[in-house]
Amino acid sequence: MPQHDVVEGLGLDQYKYHFITEDEPVFRSDRGLNEKVVREISAQKGEPEWMLEFRLKALKIYNSKPMPRWGGDLSQLEEVLDQIYYYVRPQEKMERSWDDVPESIKTTFERLGIPEAERKILAGVGAQYESEMVYHSLKEEWERQGVIFDSIEDGLRNHPELFREYFSTVVPPGDNKFAAMNSAVWSGGSFVYIPPGVELETPLQAYFRVNQEQMGQFERTLIIADEGSRAHYIEGCTAPVYSTESFHSGVIEIVIKRGAHFRYTTIQNWSHNMYNLVTQRARVHEDAHMEWLDGNLGSKLTMKYPSCYLVGEGAHGDILSIAYAGDGQHQDTGGKVVHVAPRTTSSIVSKSISKGTGRSSYRGLCKVYEGATHARSNVECDALLINSTSRTDTYPYIEIEERDANVGHEATVSKIGDEQLFYLMSRGMSEEEAMALIVRGFIEPIARELPLEYAVELNRLIELEMEGSVG
Amino acid sequence: MTTATPVIRRPMGTVEGVTGAINRAAVTRLSTEEPSWLRERRLRAWEIYESTPMPTTRLEEWRYTDLSKKLHLDDLKLLVPDVRVLREEEYPDQVRQTMGEDRAASGHLVEVDGAVVHTDLGPELESKGVLLTSLRSALTDHPGLLERLLATEAVPPEEGKFQALNAALWTNGILVFVPKGVDLEIPIRVTRWLSQPSVAHFTRTLIVAETGSRVSYVDEMLSGDFDSQSLMHSTVEVFAGDAAQIQYVALQRMGRGVFHMSTQSTLAHRDSTLDTLNVNLGASVARLDLNARLLGPGANSDLLGLYFGDHDQHFDHCTSQDHVAGHANSDLLYKGSLDGSSRAVFRGVIKVHPGAQRTDAYQTNRNLLLSDQARADSLPNLEIEADDVRCSHGASAGQLDQDALFYLMSRGLSRAQAERLVVMGFLGEVLSRLPLSGVVEKVTHAIEEKLGYA
Amino acid sequence: MPEWVRVAGLDECPPGNLLSVEVRGHRVVLANVDGDIHALQDECSHEDYPLSDGELELTELECIYHGATFDVRTGRALRLPAVKPVRTFQVDLRGSEIFVLLE
Repeated sequence: MPQHDVVEGLGLDQYKYHFITEDEPVFRSDRGLNEKVVREISAQKGEPEWMLEFRLKALKIYNSKPMPRWGGDLSQLEEVLDQIYYYVRPQEKMERSWDDVPESIKTTFERLGIPEAERKILAGVGAQYESEMVYHSLKEEWERQGVIFDSIEDGLRNHPELFREYFSTVVPPGDNKFAAMNSAVWSGGSFVYIPPGVELETPLQAYFRVNQEQMGQFERTLIIADEGSRAHYIEGCTAPVYSTESFHSGVIEIVIKRGAHFRYTTIQNWSHNMYNLVTQRARVHEDAHMEWLDGNLGSKLTMKYPSCYLVGEGAHGDILSIAYAGDGQHQDTGGKVVHVAPRTTSSIVSKSISKGTGRSSYRGLCKVYEGATHARSNVECDALLINSTSRTDTYPYIEIEERDANVGHEATVSKIGDEQLFYLMSRGMSEEEAMALIVRGFIEPIARELPLEYAVELNRLIELEMEGSVG
Repeated sequence: MTTATPVIRRPMGTVEGVTGAINRAAVTRLSTEEPSWLRERRLRAWEIYESTPMPTTRLEEWRYTDLSKKLHLDDLKLLVPDVRVLREEEYPDQVRQTMGEDRAASGHLVEVDGAVVHTDLGPELESKGVLLTSLRSALTDHPGLLERLLATEAVPPEEGKFQALNAALWTNGILVFVPKGVDLEIPIRVTRWLSQPSVAHFTRTLIVAETGSRVSYVDEMLSGDFDSQSLMHSTVEVFAGDAAQIQYVALQRMGRGVFHMSTQSTLAHRDSTLDTLNVNLGASVARLDLNARLLGPGANSDLLGLYFGDHDQHFDHCTSQDHVAGHANSDLLYKGSLDGSSRAVFRGVIKVHPGAQRTDAYQTNRNLLLSDQARADSLPNLEIEADDVRCSHGASAGQLDQDALFYLMSRGLSRAQAERLVVMGFLGEVLSRLPLSGVVEKVTHAIEEKLGYA
Repeated sequence: MPEWVRVAGLDECPPGNLLSVEVRGHRVVLANVDGDIHALQDECSHEDYPLSDGELELTELECIYHGATFDVRTGRALRLPAVKPVRTFQVDLRGSEIFVLLE
């Protein structure tokens, strides 16, 4: 049996969540992006003047920046951007309890497969449905501990000083064209603050969902983990399949203060017509620890490189990235670690699978500034190719300005080895089983990092489906 | 103040890189007595040069080498090659010294300030049809070969701004031709000397080894130290026919004040072996563009590089392993150590074209940082469009192996001695992969000189 | 020995504006904050692009290329992606002439 048929059997590239829920948005902006749309968004949200100015300036920056000429193919994107709605708000008010959530939205979640039991267990669920947070709950004891887990709009409204102190200090609008676009039209996303010393055992979770044809989604998340705190935030995305292109451009800013430990997990399974262009960056202070766990399975093109700026002595950054590119998909992903302070350490592990005409590219930066003495960094990239039409690239940038640094980068590209297959089949497995086992083994180092209770996206999409395909 | 798209700032009405010396008239002058195919080729190359913008750091390939700061084209005159033939006792001391170490050779060629002042080749080889000659003489004696291979398939002017400039303004160079089945057991040795500051020197090398032949070629480039910049631009085109074996070695030991640019392209056909070793020790700025093309099954290319920077030296290595055909191998190893405020850039790509199945390609770049001000940038890229391949790359940067140092010192060596040994051991790996007689000793000695040991 | 060098007239760099000057091999950007002149190396510490293409707002200079922001009084980096300060130069205003202390 040809290898691609076997992998087809793994079901990885079948888009399961192809359904549309009917509901009427309360407000929808005009198509396309212009000053009027930006002013409308700001007015709809009842924002302070400084935020409107921030948005308008970002719009100017967006218009002045050329389309990136690196990474994925963005040649069709301009047309898409003229056609999408930059703002859709489905409901007037934030929901406080599950019972108040509209039936159609509940249906959507159900079909996504969040089990009833798990919903109860999940500590806080900030679910983004279209552009606005529609459902938001937080365990009582966390509220007592002073944890803030709000929609980004509420964060701005209810915690204006804290918000303004950190907002756009990690990812300024000028950083790149899509950060500028997001800064102009952001809507939805989370605002998280973990007070000093507070440790959360259950993860904070937000589901993001795009459900409006030709609607762009521009979520903006700002997270501050104060000194000595510890938390895990999980974001997962699925979207129904439409025939026209769609677009998602988020900005995630995270500040990890001294001694804090924070993990941010994304499992991205956008439908295969989605452009997913995201800027995720963390500023990591003294002895703090940041982990990005980034899974990219869906979308037409994803360009996303979670970053750790290790600015405090002893700071640590981990990036664990997995990409699956099926027919017509391009996953251009990776990570950046920037060592600024002494004794900073980092690790990037990237695994990718390319199948059919899929292409996965690793793009990464490891930079050690002068003065980051005893910096240590290690990067490992493994790419698995399934077909002769598949493609993989590796584009690491390693910039070392400090003698007393130790930096290593290794990458390998391979296809599923005949020897491996032969060995497993000689142990009595079918070729199909052997293939599945090898693919699962390949991604296992990343899959095992996910918390058990997060059995919704990756577990479903990879482990269960693959296991189901065996035998 | 504006947020408009930034543009490259340039005085209005001038074309980048066209100067009082480097201009179309210079190209015309150079080609007045040349065959028409060459004149046309030069003029076309000039047009490409003029219409290609000067590379800036916004181009990926030039990200780490800012020509607006490093290259002073406006101050350069064109080198006018001296046509007289020198007697050996008239050679510069450094040339005589290095030739003294190179007695054992299949042939010698000496170039002083762009003029070939000496060639010798064993009479037996000559009778077999081997050629070792200046490009100027070859224009008269073997025009067909040059018309076919010079700046056509290997390094056409479309490759880039400076490749075009070289194709327009080259004054002389070297042709090596080895006919079918002829085996040169010991290397051909070339020594070049540049004595003049403030000049631009464009030279080309063409090496052709026919089916089943074998040749090794060592090109050593020397110069004095200059207060004002000289540019040496060298284009090297190497063709290995089926089952031919070529070893190409470039030893760049030029003086301070020199900007050395080298564009090399190697074409390896079926079952051939085409290895290169580039040693960068000298010059203030050295830029290498090396493209190794694997064109037939069974072809094999090793790409070796060694560099040692000190003071404010700046080395930029840009390599590609281009697997056009399947069932071919390439293996790259570039290692360097950096002292003072020197800087090294390595950008390499393994490109496996669609259909190039059964490719084995490897790439390793390792940097040893010896000082706080030194800097290393490494970009080992992979672009793989076939699935049945074995490809990997690795890059690292770090300081001296402390355990090794400690061990050597515990055996009674001084810290300085131990450091030298560890550096030599680190770099020695590269030389051990291409153990050409004379080369290992010479490079070892040159590095020891830089380490202040000799 | 550093020397005071005239780099521009005050009228060339009105309040709220930036001016790029190239003197003795230094590329310097002048910033006029309400009549106070500050001088910085005209090179962003993030990717070496000229800061003079950017925007000045009060004491903050924003690099147009990637949004890094610096305090023109101290050269301190205020926002990512810049993490290192930009070099500053001493400035002396002599009548309507701007002098900068340069090597």
